[in-house]
Amino acid sequence: MSDMSKLEKWKGALNKCIRCGYCYEHCPIYKSTRWEIDSPRGKLILLYGLLSGEIEPSEYVAGKLMECFHCGRCQKACSSGVPIQDVYQDARELLIEAGFEVPGTTSQTDADVCALCLNCVRMCKHEARSFVDGRIVTDLLKCQSCGSCLDVCPKQGVTIGRGFGTNPDELEREVAAFFADGRNPEAKAIVFSCGWSNYPGMQTANYEPDAATAEYKVLVTVCSGRIRSETILSTLDAGAWGVLVVSCPEEDCEHGGSPRVKARVEALLKPLAAIGVDPGRVQVAEVAQGNPKKFLEVTQAFMKDVRALGPLLARSEA
Amino acid sequence: MSDINFEKLKAIVGEAGVLSDPADLYVYGSDSSVHEGTPHAIVRPQNTGQVQQLLRYADEERIPVIPRGSGSGMCGQAVPVRGGIILDMKAMNRILEINPQDGYCRVEPGVVDDDLNRALKPHGVFYPPTPASSVVATIGGEIANNASGTRSVKYGAARDAILAMKVVLAGGELVSLGATTRVAASGYPLERLMVGSEGTLGVIVEATLRFVPIPKLRCLGIAMFNVLGEAGDAISEIMGSGCQPSMLELVDKVAITAANKAENLGLPEVEAILLFEADGLAKETIDPEIEKFRTICERHNGFGLEFSYDEKERTRIFAARSKLFPSLSKYDERLASTSLADDMAVPFSKMAETANKIHEIAERNGLVMTAYGHCGAGCMHTKILMDTEKGTQWEAAQRAVKEIYEYVLSVGGTTSAEHGIGLSKAGAFKREKAAVLDLMRGIKKVFDPNNIMNPGKLMDGPDDWVGETHLRYQKS
Repeated sequence: MSDMSKLEKWKGALNKCIRCGYCYEHCPIYKSTRWEIDSPRGKLILLYGLLSGEIEPSEYVAGKLMECFHCGRCQKACSSGVPIQDVYQDARELLIEAGFEVPGTTSQTDADVCALCLNCVRMCKHEARSFVDGRIVTDLLKCQSCGSCLDVCPKQGVTIGRGFGTNPDELEREVAAFFADGRNPEAKAIVFSCGWSNYPGMQTANYEPDAATAEYKVLVTVCSGRIRSETILSTLDAGAWGVLVVSCPEEDCEHGGSPRVKARVEALLKPLAAIGVDPGRVQVAEVAQGNPKKFLEVTQAFMKDVRALGPLLARSEA
Repeated sequence: MSDINFEKLKAIVGEAGVLSDPADLYVYGSDSSVHEGTPHAIVRPQNTGQVQQLLRYADEERIPVIPRGSGSGMCGQAVPVRGGIILDMKAMNRILEINPQDGYCRVEPGVVDDDLNRALKPHGVFYPPTPASSVVATIGGEIANNASGTRSVKYGAARDAILAMKVVLAGGELVSLGATTRVAASGYPLERLMVGSEGTLGVIVEATLRFVPIPKLRCLGIAMFNVLGEAGDAISEIMGSGCQPSMLELVDKVAITAANKAENLGLPEVEAILLFEADGLAKETIDPEIEKFRTICERHNGFGLEFSYDEKERTRIFAARSKLFPSLSKYDERLASTSLADDMAVPFSKMAETANKIHEIAERNGLVMTAYGHCGAGCMHTKILMDTEKGTQWEAAQRAVKEIYEYVLSVGGTTSAEHGIGLSKAGAFKREKAAVLDLMRGIKKVFDPNNIMNPGKLMDGPDDWVGETHLRYQKS
């Protein structure tokens, strides 16, 4: 059993947290569940409990600490300057030492499915995956939950257990709901937005259109590289006039997703053009972190294109 | 109270709506105050019917129920001091109606303030109480605590924005209070009684709120003072002159130093800064307000006056205030910012004297305290910056809080301007309201005969907030 008193070095930082909750709106996991324990503040309180001995280490506690997309927005938003990511990381290490190896949002490989192609090992920017004793192993402390390994796996043998709304199937369900008959009569497009790039700016700006007249919906993906061709096609099939993927500038992308999604969209445009789909309907735009103005500009420019192109499918076909 | 029947709770709200892991109970035991407690269960209702069923069950079994929004209260309002069920209201977060024609909107209690204003914006209107925590605070919590903010000097607090509401009472009965019309003359205004009741009378499940037009223009001004008392004299004269600021804020030297230190703002380290905003449809109506502010400030030796209608410039000028909250936490590596004696209201003429008194009390007790606030509303805030691990600092903090509220009451002030009472301020509140405590307890008894609604708060809160509550900090 690991000694949680090793968190003592963070006691001052945990005392500094004034528990204002200003981190709430910046955490995609909290925004998905709205449970206090899923918020950065809740997790800091939890760590205080571990340190003080009021909370016992458990699988449940470890799971909560391991559920994180490592975007760092909570730390940037923290009014008390608590180094949240460093505190979490030390706590995770202690919990793993204590035997609570819970995957949380880290990616895991199904050994029965894995083709041992090692694509995921080669492309992981965080050196979180390795080939050990004939199987792929994830380093729980290094994995950033970006999902790039899922993207390059030819066998769909890699999964992230809980996506908190960001897994492709969850995004596709949101798309279907947005275009469901009569719900949003003005619905025209989907904007898939990288969780690391413009999202922080978007959170503090009033750019979401009013639901009653919403022409587009912004859906957050963990990394733009996780937007699959199938997701784009199913979005058009659901009734969208167009799809915009907003990613980090290539030079800023820490996960390698930005160049991948660009290449994917480029490859998709040719067959789409062959069946008469205008290339303007599927676009990729780069927006750097915390630049809500640029986000609004690219979204508006895209929507202008989409309106000019008109509907792709008649409503009855959608 | 009886043991919690978790199967019963799950039957009402569904399995996914009930939490009981010790980790969840621990986390939900805290809010933004210095206190903590431990609930027995966390329950998240989805609709009014579920709230009714939950309260019926809790009342029969005498189980405390603590309604909770985002838990951003600073005085322990949502801390479950007697255990029981935390009613997490965040799933009831629908904006039910925006009716520009009749000038109201209807919302569920879990709607976050900023989200409501985001939805109102296309209609050219806004919900004005808006506290600094609007990014996280829910409308239900704001009503229960009668929240207000920087613009309340002109537009009022939550109480002024309430037209009607639906409330589930302790036994599960649903009642409609108030009216959606702008005037409603007769009978007891029970909807207003709910405002500031801190969850002790019932659960707000729907609120009908009025809103106001977003002003076309805003002009922000700033003035510096080398003598705090002169800034105070300016405040009294501004408010007595018929001036109608949409914001009038005081920032003291400790706060300025903190903002400079933490955010490198380069502000002149004067004794006080006043920020003044006027808004409206046209410059012709705003400029005279600004001129009054300038003349009065100059008469009281204010200097460094600046004014701007430009949004970017206003943001720059307002940095002294907007950066204050985070700056206090970063003031000193060893000191944590605690919400103690965090909120009070005094007559305009006593603002400067109150700020001076706070500094004097802080110094005498070996603490660091700042004084700032919405002085146009008579509202003063402070924070105690202290080493939370030292028992002696808590003793000093306790003395300081007592002295501050004794002073506030002696000059005709009141214990809470906008943060509420909860646990931290219950002692001072009880001293202030001593003559009407029985009346309040009588009202509580009518609404909640079995005392299940957020027990142990307001008039039933502790006299000794250190000794009688569990503090979130470990101290030696």
